[in-house]
Amino acid sequence: MIEPNLDLLVPAYVREFEPYIPSKPDPELQKLYGCDHLYRLNNNENPLGPPPGAQEVIRRFPPPRGAVYPSGDSYYLRREIAACHGIDPDQILVGNGANEVIAFVIKAFCGQGDNIITADKTFAVYEWVAVFSGIEARVIPLKEERFDDRAMLHSIDAATKVIFLCNPNNPTGTYWSRDTLRDFLDAVGGRQIVVIDEAYCEFVEADDYPDGIALINDYPNLIVFRTFSKMYGIAGLRIGYLAGDLKVVDMIRRTCVVYSVNGIAQEAALACLRDETGHIRRTRQLIREGKAFLCAEMAAMGMPIIVGEGNYLIVKLPGSDTLAYRKLMHEGIMIRPMTGFRYPNHIRVTLARMEALEAFVAALKKILV
Amino acid sequence: MSFLPVATHCVETAAGVFGLGREELLKLILATEEIFSYLSSNVCRGEILDIRCVNGLSYVRVEFRFSVSALDMGALNIAASVPCASEDDMAEMGLAIASRTIDRLNIIAERQNRICLSIEKDKDYPPAPETSIAPIDVTGALTVETPDTEGVKRYVTRVTQGPHDPLRPPFFHYPGKVADMVTAGDCQVVTAVDAKGECAGGVLFRFLTARIVEVFGPHVFYQVREGEIAAMLLDACIARTARTKAIGLVNLTGLPPSSQSQFELLGLMNHYRQDGESIARQAFYRLLHEDPGCLVFTDECLKDYLQREYGRLFLAREIREVRDQGEMKAGVSIFSAEVRRERSMASLRPLWPGADLDANVKRHLRFLKEEAINNIFFALDLGVSWHASLMTVLITNHFRPALIIPFAGQADLLIFQYDRTEP
Repeated sequence: MIEPNLDLLVPAYVREFEPYIPSKPDPELQKLYGCDHLYRLNNNENPLGPPPGAQEVIRRFPPPRGAVYPSGDSYYLRREIAACHGIDPDQILVGNGANEVIAFVIKAFCGQGDNIITADKTFAVYEWVAVFSGIEARVIPLKEERFDDRAMLHSIDAATKVIFLCNPNNPTGTYWSRDTLRDFLDAVGGRQIVVIDEAYCEFVEADDYPDGIALINDYPNLIVFRTFSKMYGIAGLRIGYLAGDLKVVDMIRRTCVVYSVNGIAQEAALACLRDETGHIRRTRQLIREGKAFLCAEMAAMGMPIIVGEGNYLIVKLPGSDTLAYRKLMHEGIMIRPMTGFRYPNHIRVTLARMEALEAFVAALKKILV
Repeated sequence: MSFLPVATHCVETAAGVFGLGREELLKLILATEEIFSYLSSNVCRGEILDIRCVNGLSYVRVEFRFSVSALDMGALNIAASVPCASEDDMAEMGLAIASRTIDRLNIIAERQNRICLSIEKDKDYPPAPETSIAPIDVTGALTVETPDTEGVKRYVTRVTQGPHDPLRPPFFHYPGKVADMVTAGDCQVVTAVDAKGECAGGVLFRFLTARIVEVFGPHVFYQVREGEIAAMLLDACIARTARTKAIGLVNLTGLPPSSQSQFELLGLMNHYRQDGESIARQAFYRLLHEDPGCLVFTDECLKDYLQREYGRLFLAREIREVRDQGEMKAGVSIFSAEVRRERSMASLRPLWPGADLDANVKRHLRFLKEEAINNIFFALDLGVSWHASLMTVLITNHFRPALIIPFAGQADLLIFQYDRTEP
C-alpha cells in the first residue's frame, strides 16, 4: 500500500492548523472526571430549552420524514425571517449553524493574499476559518474589553475583504451602540464587507443596541449573522442564518452548500419565530436573576468579573483557568476556560438556573481554598 | 561506499553556503563521513539513502533518510557497537564517533518504516559582551512588543548579564544566535518596553514537541515592578500560543515566584554538572485548553505512581494496566537518542519494541556513561501500550520516574531520570 504524501498534497496552511477538539460527550466526561452529574455552564446554552412550539415540533416529527430531503434552501423559514424583518427572502441564507455561514462569507469574498479583520478576544471561528482557508486574520486587541473601532479601521488595507464584529461580544458582553456602529460603517464606506455577528442579540435589553438587519438598506456592505442556538435553545439542531443586501447575498449563495440544514431544524426554527408564550421574556428574566446572583457572589468572594450583555459573564481567577476547569469538572461543573480566547486565568460562566449557579459558586469556593 | 565523496562534497558545499565556519564545517563533514559509511555498510547496504542539508540559520542539519528492515534495526541504536571498552574498538563506531563531533544527533521513525537520522552542527557566534549594560530605569506604562533583531540581542544580553543560572540554555550566551533562531522561526521572543524603548523584561518560547511550548523566563530586568512585568510577559506569551497547535506550556528551567501561581508544579528534575554537583529545578506546566482526557498505559509497578500524580494534577486519565502474558517477543529494539553535549544530557525514547529491552537499556547506559553524559533521561509515551513494558526495565536499571508532561506525546510523556547514585 502506498500512502499519499500529505506534505505535498495538503497546503501548508491546512497542515499547520490545529483542529479544534470539542469536548467529549457528557457521559464520557462524567466517567473521566468521576462525577455523577454535570452542570453545563460552558456553551451559553439556554437552560429553558426551546420555546414550547419548537419542543412540540421536535416531539411530533414524523419518522417517515427522515427519508425525505429537507427544503434545500430553507424556503419557508427564509420567508418567515424575511417577514419578521421586512426584507426580501432572498436576502437570507440559512446555514447549519452560524458557523457554516461564516465559511460561506469567507469563501465568497476572500482569495489568496486577502485578509480579514477581527478582534483578539472574540468568537474564534472567524479567525479559524480564515486561517485554515489560507487567508490572513488580523486580530486587533480589544480596548477596555470592547472592539476598538479606530484600530480596526487603521488596520484596513487594500487586501482587506471582510471585517468581523461580534455584537454583543462573546465573551466580554460589550456592544457597540447604534451611533458607534453607524460611524464605523460610514468610515468603512462600503469598501469592505462588514459582518456583525448578533448571536446574542435577543439577550440585549439596552435601548441604544442596534438592530443590524435594520441597517442593511443603508449599508449594503453589511451582513448580519443570527442563530437559533442561544436564545431559542435549539443548538443541538444546528441552524443559523445571515442577512444582507440582495446583490451581496446573491454572491454568497454561490459558495453555499444547499441541503445542509435538516428538516426538523427548519421547522423548529419556524416555531421559535412564531413563539407567543413569552420564551424570550422568561429567558431574560432567568438571565437577569442569574447575573445579579453571580455578580453579588463574586463580589463577596473578591473575584473580579467582566459582565455585560448576553447570557454569560467572565470571572478572573487568581490562578490558571485550565486548572480550575479540571477541578470544577471533578465537582460536576463545566465552565469555559478563557486562555483560548486570549484571556488567561479567566473563565466564562453561562448564566443558568439558580440550582446550577449555586452549585458553581459552592464548587468555586471549594477549589479556591 | 563509492558514493561517500558525493555525500561529503554535498554537505561541504551546502554547509559552506549556509555559512558554517571552517572548524564546524570540518566536524560536520567528519560526522557525515562516519554516518554515511556506517549506514551504507551496516544498515541499508545497497539501498537508497537520501541526504538533505538544511539551513537552520543558527545551525546546519544533515538528514539521512532510509528504509530499514527489522533485521537491521539494532544497528541504529547509538550504542549498538559499544560492547567493548577499548578505545581501538571505539574507533569503529560510526554513530558514536559522529555523536562526538556534532552538537545534536537524533533518530526518528517516519512513515512506512522510514528512518530519519539527523545531525546538527551549531554555527559559531561571539558570546554576549562582558561589559555590563547600564541598569535600566523604567518609567510609566509598559507595552509588550515583538522586538526587532537589535531588541532580541539586547534582551538576550541582559539575560546573560543577570544572575548566573547554570541551567540556562547555552544559546542565551549568544545574542546573535538567538536573533537567528527567531528569524528562522525556531523560537519567539516578546519584550516589555517603556515609552523610551527601555527593555524591562522579556520571555522566549519555542515548540518543545508538536503540541507543547517550552517557556524560558519571564526574565525581568526591573525588579521594582517584577510582578507586573512578569505577568504581562506571560500573558503575551499565552496570547501568542493560545490559538496555535500548542495544547500546553512547560517551563523546565525555572519560573519567577510571581509567575508560579499561573502554572502547575509537575515535579522536580535534578541536573548534574560536570563537577558532579547536582542542581534541583522545579518543572511547571500549564494547559492552554480544556483537558480532553485520554487513555494511558502502565505496568503494574507504576500504576500507583500514575494514579497519585494524575490525582495531584487533576488530570482525567483512564489508566489501563498492561501485563506480560507470555506472548512472544522477537527482534531487536531501537531507541532514539538525542545527545546534547553542551548540557551533558541525553534523552532516550523507544522507537521499536524487541526482545532485548533490558540489554539495550544497559548498552545505552554504558555508552552514555563512557561518554561522560551526566544527565540521562528516558521518555515513555503513556499513550503507546508497548512502552509500558519498558517501565520495569527502566526501574531495574536505576531510572526513576521524575515527571509527567501532559500531551507531550501521543498521550502524556513520562520522563524517567537515571539515578546517578546507583552504580
